[in-house]
Amino acid sequence: MKLSAKLAGAVSGLSILLSAAAVSAETLFWSTQARPAEEAQAMRTDVLAGFGPGVDYQPNEEGPWLTRLKAEIEANSGSIGVLGSLHGVFSSLNADDLVDLDDLGVSSSSATFNNLAKLGTDNMQYVPWMQASYIMAANKEALQYLPEGADIDALTYDELIQWSANVHEAVGQPKFGFPAGPKGLKHRFFQGYLYPSYTNGVVRTFASDEAVTAWEKFKELWEHTNPASTNYNFLQEQLLSGDAWIVFDHTSRLAQAFNERPDDFVAFPAPAGPTGRGFMPVLAGVAIPKTAPNMDEAKELVKYLLQPETQIATLRATSFFPVVDVDLPDDLPPAVRAAGDAVAKMSGSSDANPGLLPAGLGSMGGDFNRVFVDTFERIVLAGQPIDRVLADQKKTLQKIMDETGAPCWAPDAPSEGACPVE
Amino acid sequence: MSDATVSEIALPRAPGKAGRYVYISGVVLLCAWVLIPLYLLLVNTLSSPETVNSFPKSFIPEFDLGSLEFFTGFSGMLVALKNSIIVAAITMVLSILIGAPAGYALSRFDFRGKELFRLLILLTRAFPLPLLALPLAVLFIRTGLDDTAFGLALVHTTLAIPFSVLITFSLFSGIPIELEEAAWTLGCNRVTAFQKVVLPLILPGITASAIFAFVISWNEVFAAAVLTIENRTLTAFLLQTLSESPLHLKFAGGFILVVPALIFIFAVRKYLFAMWGIANR
Repeated sequence: MKLSAKLAGAVSGLSILLSAAAVSAETLFWSTQARPAEEAQAMRTDVLAGFGPGVDYQPNEEGPWLTRLKAEIEANSGSIGVLGSLHGVFSSLNADDLVDLDDLGVSSSSATFNNLAKLGTDNMQYVPWMQASYIMAANKEALQYLPEGADIDALTYDELIQWSANVHEAVGQPKFGFPAGPKGLKHRFFQGYLYPSYTNGVVRTFASDEAVTAWEKFKELWEHTNPASTNYNFLQEQLLSGDAWIVFDHTSRLAQAFNERPDDFVAFPAPAGPTGRGFMPVLAGVAIPKTAPNMDEAKELVKYLLQPETQIATLRATSFFPVVDVDLPDDLPPAVRAAGDAVAKMSGSSDANPGLLPAGLGSMGGDFNRVFVDTFERIVLAGQPIDRVLADQKKTLQKIMDETGAPCWAPDAPSEGACPVE
Repeated sequence: MSDATVSEIALPRAPGKAGRYVYISGVVLLCAWVLIPLYLLLVNTLSSPETVNSFPKSFIPEFDLGSLEFFTGFSGMLVALKNSIIVAAITMVLSILIGAPAGYALSRFDFRGKELFRLLILLTRAFPLPLLALPLAVLFIRTGLDDTAFGLALVHTTLAIPFSVLITFSLFSGIPIELEEAAWTLGCNRVTAFQKVVLPLILPGITASAIFAFVISWNEVFAAAVLTIENRTLTAFLLQTLSESPLHLKFAGGFILVVPALIFIFAVRKYLFAMWGIANR
């Protein structure tokens, strides 16, 4: 009696569930970005609420995100309307599975980004959506020591070194600050800034003659760097404490300084070297899978996301910056305003040479970063000969590239198969 | 030699006192093992963000409901909670309906390949879900099971079945066949004997495997994240957003995830204790 009653209950429960598989008319926005609870909530209520037909915003970790997408493509039937992710993830996808988006008439204001979004094909595979980056910041006290004729918005590495030297001489203390602490993002500086600016590459040119020059320059800069930098992780702290006057870090790791004392600091683009103004954007894009259930609405959503008002709402929700030309309103937090300005100048500069976050390394991303950290520690901190260290580390780097088979990414020239260390 | 004899004689008396201390401290330790993390979770859930981030920690909650309030406004929470309960319930029912007869057959009948079968049933746990999720999702999309609580429950049932088979197998083995035989001689057939004699005896064991099934389903993230979209479970819904959230939201979200599972286990605990009664017999 008891068992049969249980059974009946279960069966009726199942039938209700199966019949209740409701079809929702909302466009499913399948994203790997804006995952933290507060950001996801802000995306839903502040950014996407204005889209008429309705959006179901679902942030996911990369694993489930990719598995679900692959399954829908393989089954040739999908529920995902719009995909949101980083450039590195899109570049690992098959471009045929994404709808060409040229006819939408929306793109970012950066030709570089639009080119990256083609993923090596002739058509836009995704539309650049938002960006973050690493920038420079300085205490206004330091501005008086700028070398003659130097434009703070178009500095070169030589001018930066000279500037730091001037400050060092005038104040009697090295005041350049570098995130070389255990949790600092120093490896990103080498991968995305120093190497592209001097060698126009990261992997291929790792041990080139130009790389030797780059490390020599960095050693010069280190002369004027606060030696306590090996303990700095978030340069906002040293900006605020005055231990460093000129610093490099991730936009979000400088935010607190600008928000607490907006009038005391300036943000500006990273310097340029012989092969351009190397910088590493974190570029997120939106794409439409070919299996999208409602293609028109998905396209409308992509257009909506690229509207200036939506881009500003996205900036507030996620602290990621617009990729289109917008007039930033006055009521943005000071950090967002300052950093946004610097990032825009950097990506819009005529000598911009964007590098990308390493892609295709999978679980070996940490080992890849380690190569650059070790190289830094041996050359700069331990003072070992540059040639020898680069020759040593080259082997480790080549092994990582061979094991993962990761192809080259910008600014390295594309490769067939694993990216070679030349 | 004589020393050894003395100490051998002295031994049985010593545990009387020392043993009690060991026993009591063991109990205290085990309770603390379970209760302290839960208590800290509760304290931090009910604290303001500033307190959560500060150090040293207070052991007294300040009853700041800010973190929990955030989740009341978090769209989709209640639906996800409902889905989690539905999926876990179906998983429980299915894994018992399939697992208990299999356990009964394993303990009562001899057939070729029995040992192999017992081994193979564990193999369903040998393949990681991220590996299986892609083909499963493709199959589900094609058959229309995709994004249904029932479809996800099928996957969770597959994960839970090894436990329910092996638990019920050992339980059935612990019940002498003579009890059943006696029932047969008194007018029962196989089914009624099972229903009237065996079932009441193994109910605690069924409860235990039900708890396993519930917990497995409740905690599973990957398949849930891939196979459901509208009908997302609470774990898939929350866990992915929590790992990068500020600390106070992590605590509150963790609390929300733990409480329903705790309530369920409390609700069925008396059946569970009854099982241990059998085991001690």
